[in-house]
Amino acid sequence: MDKRKGKGRFGNAGVWAGIVLLIYASFMFWQSLSLGYYTQFGPGPGMFPRWLSGILIVISLLYLWQSARKFVFRAADIFPKGKDLWNMLSVFVSVLMFMLIVNLTGFVIAGTVMMFILLSRGYKWFMALPIALVTSVLLFLLFDKVFSIPLPVNTFGW
Amino acid sequence: MDFGGLLAGFAEALTWWNLLYCLIGVTVGMFVGVLPGLGPTTATALLIPMTFGLDPISAIIMLCGIYYGGMYGGTITSVLINTPGEAASAITCMDGYPLAKQGRAGVALSVAAVGSFIGGTISILGLALIAPALAEFALRFGPPEFFALMIFGLVMVIGLMGSSIIRGLISAFLGLTLALVGMDPVSGAMRFTFGEPFLVNGFDIVTIAMGLFGISELLIGMENLRNAEKPAEVGGLMPKKEELMPTAKSIGRGTVLGFLTGLIPGTSSTIPALLSYSLEQRLSKNPSRFGKGAVEGVAGPETANNSYVGAALVPLFTLGIPSSPTIAILLGAFIMHGLTPGPALFQNNPVFVWGIIASMFIGNVFLLIMNLPMARMWAKVAAIPPKLLYPMILIVTVLGAYTVSNSLWDVGVMLAFGVLGYFMKKLDIPLAPILLTFVLCQLMESSLMQSIKLFEGNLLNIFQRPISVIMLAISFLVLLFSVIAEVKNKKSKLAGDMEA
Repeated sequence: MDKRKGKGRFGNAGVWAGIVLLIYASFMFWQSLSLGYYTQFGPGPGMFPRWLSGILIVISLLYLWQSARKFVFRAADIFPKGKDLWNMLSVFVSVLMFMLIVNLTGFVIAGTVMMFILLSRGYKWFMALPIALVTSVLLFLLFDKVFSIPLPVNTFGW
Repeated sequence: MDFGGLLAGFAEALTWWNLLYCLIGVTVGMFVGVLPGLGPTTATALLIPMTFGLDPISAIIMLCGIYYGGMYGGTITSVLINTPGEAASAITCMDGYPLAKQGRAGVALSVAAVGSFIGGTISILGLALIAPALAEFALRFGPPEFFALMIFGLVMVIGLMGSSIIRGLISAFLGLTLALVGMDPVSGAMRFTFGEPFLVNGFDIVTIAMGLFGISELLIGMENLRNAEKPAEVGGLMPKKEELMPTAKSIGRGTVLGFLTGLIPGTSSTIPALLSYSLEQRLSKNPSRFGKGAVEGVAGPETANNSYVGAALVPLFTLGIPSSPTIAILLGAFIMHGLTPGPALFQNNPVFVWGIIASMFIGNVFLLIMNLPMARMWAKVAAIPPKLLYPMILIVTVLGAYTVSNSLWDVGVMLAFGVLGYFMKKLDIPLAPILLTFVLCQLMESSLMQSIKLFEGNLLNIFQRPISVIMLAISFLVLLFSVIAEVKNKKSKLAGDMEA
């Protein structure tokens, strides 16, 4: 557990997380106000959400206090930099890319692109491309033909 | 024990197709146990959509196989490359890897396999003995008792998982609030859907689990993208003659410790493994051997984490309460297959329950065979480099999310929860409570609302019900002791996020 004091005010990841949590809890609480708390038949759909989000607001305030005073997580210490950061971001980028193109290109091409983005972090392109293509084709055949689970396809049917 | 029920269960579990699904389940479990980056929670979630066409019994036999198979598999990488395949085997690295460096990896793997088999088998026997009686008792529960039970489960999860109560609470209440999205189970009103049709049925547990446990692990794994260490040679399997008796004793102690821990909701398989290691070290005539290749340091914890598995199914089968994320996924699978785990399960679906229990005996035999004569084969699986493994895990995970409802919505939700899980791990916020409370929320809300109606608005009347009072009193004590332990900074001993 990291108990070091953060040097920069904006570098305390715990405080930022606490603020995001507080915004989320407050939003849920505000939304729950539009749901009935008690009806003629008994407790309404708003009762449980109001209590839960209200408690979450209190917890997030406690967490903010704790993050600022006691357990400081410096963003610079816990998040990667340089190549490690790009390796991590490549997962995010590859899935986003898959989602963007899959309905247009079909699963085989989108899957190949997704895998290629990740494989190219550790292999040369001439190794990464065939591995990505073969894996995508095999998975397409397995899901589409063996399990009969329909996957997105292009005009050629793959 | 209902011997007739168990025999009928064996008749069901021994059909060729159920044997096949059991074999597939334990093999997948072994595989994900061996491979870092894909744990039993993600693997169970991944396979659920593929079980929709199966009989419920075959589907659950396979999914349970992944759960207990994962416990066996995690040992192999701990011993051979000093990297635990799953959290419960982390402690095995302490003595397993030094044994491997001495050329005795085979001994570590064989005592772990035999201990796991004995612990696993005895705990399933315990499950068969205890579960029917507990289920019969739980039939007396009304909504107030169930609400008190949910509070008990919630407190145990927050109190025992992770190193800080506030961070445990954050995770638990995030899970509860996320479960509110969709249709209110009591009135049918729409909540937090914002007119979005995808949100009407709420978030899917499979998608959430794959994001929180699968994608977040990949994000962290990609940060440290290095080639896998070359696994050590397996070598001979038999321990020395003088090691046999201490090993047998540590297996016995590990079995009891694992089983008792498994009965407590909110614990995880990591806890009995840690407790067993500490116990073996204390009882040893020469504690300085520990950390340098003591066979008891492998046998005890490995037995304990496998013994935990059977006992951890007791709360699921009898009360409908999951005690770990993988069991939460199993609960989801039960519901998807039209079954409601809880007190009535033994009455309404006896063949199903006893079939599952019988299949676990058989699965443990499969795993013993896979781990003793075939240990060398699994060592080769452990050598797959992460730079090849992670992209393959990602595409399978994305496919798994897509097949939940054949839409990209679930892929997006999985990615979002993956990012959430990544940040939670970085900030030392435990992931397990979010999934457990997400699953429990609906039952918790229904039982609370029914209790309020029953008591005509005065919930304090819950203290007039003896079972509720006992459970609430225990919950209060657990919370109190957890706060005291945290103030004294002792909770870090059981800290760490626990998946299985």
